[in-house]
Amino acid sequence: MAITKINVGPIHPSTHGVLRLVVHLDGDTIVKVEPHIGFLHRGVEKLVETRMYMQSHPYMEKIDYMAPMSVDELYVATVEKAMGIEVNERAQYVRVVLLELQRIASHLFWVGSICNDLGQLFTTFMWGFRDRDMALRLLEVATGQRMFYVNMRLGGLARDIPEGFAEEVIEFLDYLEKRLKDYEKFIEKNPIFIQRMKGIGRLSRSEALDLGVTGQVLRTSGVSYDVRKNNPYYVYEKLNFNPVVLTGGDNLARYKARVLEIKESIRLIRNALGNMPEGSALGMPVKLVSPPLKNRMVTVSRENPRGEEMMYMVGDPQKPYRLSIRAPTFINLSALDYMARENRFADLFSIMGTLDLVMADVDR
Amino acid sequence: MSIDSIIENAINSHSLAVSLAGLIAYGIVIAILIFAFSYFFGWFERKLIAKSQYRHGPTYVGKYGILQNFADLVKLLAKEIIIPENANKVLISLAPVVLVALNVFIIFLIPFSPALQASNLGLGLLLIFVVLGFTPIILFIIGFASGNKFSDISAQRSVLMLISYELPMIIVVATLALFTGSYSINGIIAAQARLPFAILMPIGFFVFFVAMLAELERPPFDTREADSELIAGWLTDLSAPYYALALLLDYTRMLLGGLLISILFLGGWDGPFLPAPLWLLIKAFLVAVFITIIRITTMRMRVDKILKFGWIWLMPLALLNMVITFFLFL
Repeated sequence: MAITKINVGPIHPSTHGVLRLVVHLDGDTIVKVEPHIGFLHRGVEKLVETRMYMQSHPYMEKIDYMAPMSVDELYVATVEKAMGIEVNERAQYVRVVLLELQRIASHLFWVGSICNDLGQLFTTFMWGFRDRDMALRLLEVATGQRMFYVNMRLGGLARDIPEGFAEEVIEFLDYLEKRLKDYEKFIEKNPIFIQRMKGIGRLSRSEALDLGVTGQVLRTSGVSYDVRKNNPYYVYEKLNFNPVVLTGGDNLARYKARVLEIKESIRLIRNALGNMPEGSALGMPVKLVSPPLKNRMVTVSRENPRGEEMMYMVGDPQKPYRLSIRAPTFINLSALDYMARENRFADLFSIMGTLDLVMADVDR
Repeated sequence: MSIDSIIENAINSHSLAVSLAGLIAYGIVIAILIFAFSYFFGWFERKLIAKSQYRHGPTYVGKYGILQNFADLVKLLAKEIIIPENANKVLISLAPVVLVALNVFIIFLIPFSPALQASNLGLGLLLIFVVLGFTPIILFIIGFASGNKFSDISAQRSVLMLISYELPMIIVVATLALFTGSYSINGIIAAQARLPFAILMPIGFFVFFVAMLAELERPPFDTREADSELIAGWLTDLSAPYYALALLLDYTRMLLGGLLISILFLGGWDGPFLPAPLWLLIKAFLVAVFITIIRITTMRMRVDKILKFGWIWLMPLALLNMVITFFLFL
């Protein structure tokens, strides 16, 4: 049968931004998917070379607009490592709490949007948004901004968490645990959801390892790799949590992994709030002249909500000589072709949805 | 003398001119009804969906946003008509109009009370389902006439849908006709005077309801329009005024579906206290609300799964319904 080529995007209701896909179809079956990227390329890596260290810091957050704090924190951690600055212990705990809140917010958004990709009329989407906004409100209480925080400073934070923040967070976590049960009832009990997700978009363990995918896409293929566990940073070692590793490698596993990760994050936050030491979490104030470099070449990696985000920096005295970012979604996107083959055209969008793409992160 | 009896007397008059005038008057009443239902149900649906999603829905234009749909209509009608180069110009501009006309025609054929009906056709049921059968074919024509690959896929899905739900639906309707011994809608409603068919043959009701959801392109069977996959399916290349027409069509079909389900299974216009047409409209409205609630909750089924569902579940159930009906009641 003749192969039909269909151009999906860059303007399409469910490409999650500006992604263009050229889909080769044999009837209704996908033969090949070619992603065409670069519509949101802003040259972040080059821009950083022209700014002082702490000047490009707000710009980093726009790389991953669904989880701005995770990239922000990664950049600051890279600079800290280059300058040999230690983060004080309370700040480490606060950073963990804020990062996990950010992860919850990002995953809640994803849970909503996957149902939208499957053709639901924005119901779970709005529910996810509503609960995500509660997490964002907590981040606003802690940092003063709703989405783009610029709260990290060398060696700590710009603002310590306010009085009564822990109680508010725990109240939210209690609410969220109840809410997750609602989601399970509403989504997982729906036979159409299971039918559309189970066995769709399989990625085998060997393929996942060969492609270098990270995050939930790797962990649902049966590989236990979570940077928080395998290469721990901050106080993750001391906290009690298990990375979510599932087998199956299909859409349903990726959905379950994200829901379970929300639960793990809830555990982590409770744990971190309980063990948080007294003191000050404040970091150094922003100055144009930064402390001298200790290491010229550093690599730091973090478990972003979407996978392993890594920064490699070669430093000069006042500004980076070169900064290279390993974006998790960019590498996960390369797996789309392997996942989508042999599947139906209608499932392409849910498979793409489970990759949790943020095009700003892919294109940088 | 009330309006419906005037119209009834006119339609049944022996003079051709008076009879024609009566039909035209009835047609105007139906047109007003369809517009009013589309308008208010469109608003109500938006509000209902908004409530389920912790939103407010339209609030700005008019009290409770009641004029929002009117504002949208004006906006859509004021826009330019663009017909793509690849499209078949005649078909794409004619087919949506024909589609609306056919659906309006079916509602015109449906009796609203023993008095208020265009004509008491002996074969009314047959005619309704014959005309209803044209809808997927016209959607198919629009899809292919658009000259757009997304609309093409929508057209192919339209055919697949057609062969998956139409047959079980017709079998259920045939069972009804055989059971009551008449093809006339009045006969079917009269047969439900004691017990509505929804209770008498629940399996048949289920099959018909599911098939009707597919016929009306409502979730989980909205694969032809599939906005998260096919942009808008057969609607992708229709310009704003045609899109307005398609929206009107959506609610016309909603009314049509509600009316058909209420007439065939929920006892039609039978009910205490209120006048007959009002009862029928209330039942149709409740069915439409139920369909909207399904729309809020479910995801979309894949078209090959719908085909499987149609042949593995709906078809045997429809036959089972037929067998049970004949062994138990005849």
